Amino acid sequence: MEAGAELALRPGFFDGKEGHTMQTALQKAVALILSGDRELGNILLVTAKTSLSSSLIALLLGVPLGIWLGASRFRGRQALVVLNRTLMGMPPVVCGLFLYLLFSGVGPFGRMKLLFTVPIMVLAQVLLITPLVVGNLETYVAGVAPAVRETALGLSLGTGKTFLLLANECVYSIFSTYLLAFARAIAEVGAVSMVGGAIAWKTNVMTTAIMQYTNRGNFSLGIALGLILMTVSLLVNILVSLMQRRLSR
Amino acid sequence: MKKSISCLLALAMLLGTLSACGGGQASSGSQQPASSSTGSSTSQPAGPAPEAPAAPAVDTVILKEADDKMINTYTLLAVNPDAPFVDADGKAVADVAVNTAGAEALIQWLLSDEGMTMAAEFGQADFGDSLFYLLEGAPSYSGDIAAATDETKTIRLSTTTSVNDSGLLGSLLPVFEGKYGYTVEVQSAGTGKAIAAAKYGNADLILVHAKSQEEAFVEEGFSYVLPGFESERLSFLYNYFVLCGPSDDPAGVKDSASVLDAFAAIADGKHPFISRGDGSGTHTKELSLWPEALGITAEAESFVDYTDWYTSANAGMGECLVMAEETHGYILTDKATFLTFQANGGIME
Repeated sequence: MEAGAELALRPGFFDGKEGHTMQTALQKAVALILSGDRELGNILLVTAKTSLSSSLIALLLGVPLGIWLGASRFRGRQALVVLNRTLMGMPPVVCGLFLYLLFSGVGPFGRMKLLFTVPIMVLAQVLLITPLVVGNLETYVAGVAPAVRETALGLSLGTGKTFLLLANECVYSIFSTYLLAFARAIAEVGAVSMVGGAIAWKTNVMTTAIMQYTNRGNFSLGIALGLILMTVSLLVNILVSLMQRRLSR
Repeated sequence: MKKSISCLLALAMLLGTLSACGGGQASSGSQQPASSSTGSSTSQPAGPAPEAPAAPAVDTVILKEADDKMINTYTLLAVNPDAPFVDADGKAVADVAVNTAGAEALIQWLLSDEGMTMAAEFGQADFGDSLFYLLEGAPSYSGDIAAATDETKTIRLSTTTSVNDSGLLGSLLPVFEGKYGYTVEVQSAGTGKAIAAAKYGNADLILVHAKSQEEAFVEEGFSYVLPGFESERLSFLYNYFVLCGPSDDPAGVKDSASVLDAFAAIADGKHPFISRGDGSGTHTKELSLWPEALGITAEAESFVDYTDWYTSANAGMGECLVMAEETHGYILTDKATFLTFQANGGIME
């Protein structure tokens, strides 16, 4: 028997997992989860760590900024809004390249040894997502601000209390914005692959793993990971939607 | 109310994706009625009709292999801490952190009896043939190997996709890590990108497979000779590239005398050819196999006249294989990736 032919009859060998060509991607995904594959667990963990922290940090930074930008009136506000909207469209690879150069061994921050770590992936995503949060909040607040301002004036509230009143108005919108931020974070691949390097057991997330498997020609495992990613996304959406319903109105 | 609507929407999307994938799989399955009956048993023997293509869904087959010109040599290079590093603006940078002790230990172990034997035996237990062979006269090391300290613990290895994707590093490195206490962070990209990462001070050593690029790397002073070795370039493993193409082989490369003739035949007949086009080792090798008169190089201008048959994909090996399959084109690939692609039936949806 020719060695090459025998090789070709062993599907699933190169990924080191039991699997079969004829398995559907869904079966493969379920089997992967049930097998308690350690590498998959690590990929899921890193994905969760990265996208949860980046979306939460972006929310913490972006919400006050967005409310302030939407509610206040000053010269240059419009310029800031346009600048922010431009940043909303920043391509992830550009953001990744920018940080890659800054944090490379030869870059100005090379000594910090942050390249190819989770913190810098979070940083990249925060840079990408914060403008989205700001933009979304700004749009919403600009719509409700006049009415709130009038109420605050009627109740003769101070600046701080007016801000809190506005924030209270925004709760529903904040949840939707968070979902948007999280979706962008978990689906993003350009920036995290560039600054994270997709290192196994360390910085490999779902999207970069899917890219890797595709490059290896292992498409069904890629689809399986894609299905798991969609499911995780679904669960987070359900959870946040439930919280949104409970906490607002 | 809003909640249930959003849940329903998300669920509908998910189901849509599932059925789309299921459909794709089902159609590829229907093309292979013979193997689908045995598909459910995981302990399928490799027995029935081994000479027949394993996955009829893939039309692309290996047409040319084990030619002297197709030798694919893997080389280790330690990154010189005093290399002339420059930043993105071209300014010299002096103090780039390179873990030289860690890189040295990993190279020493890979070139030790244990490392070399493991590399040469990789794949034998599973399918009776090695994926990598030991290079005759390869440098070897028999001395002591320093254990990790807090400062040298993390080793950044920048390497080409084939050694990582084939599972070679995955089988070797844990042994080294367990024995000496290091953690090896593997970054795999094409050879061009692996070398670029090292030049940006983001790697301690590289394992690549493109002689011309390695020599340039050494010439520019980015590598150095480790104590006890004779050269910067430590070539130790090799295997073969394979030329693949549609099974009906319109260019007739299967019967050509050499791989150079095969490439000339493809160019003469203007048969579709998919090039990686990404500066990887595979791309570099492919460029060296075209008839010189064509003048195909890595520069986009060099093949502007050939775009009717020559596709520079600038993509990874798997994506290029899909393109070759779709366009019934020829392609140069490493054997490991091709076999995985074939085993998966070329499913891409």
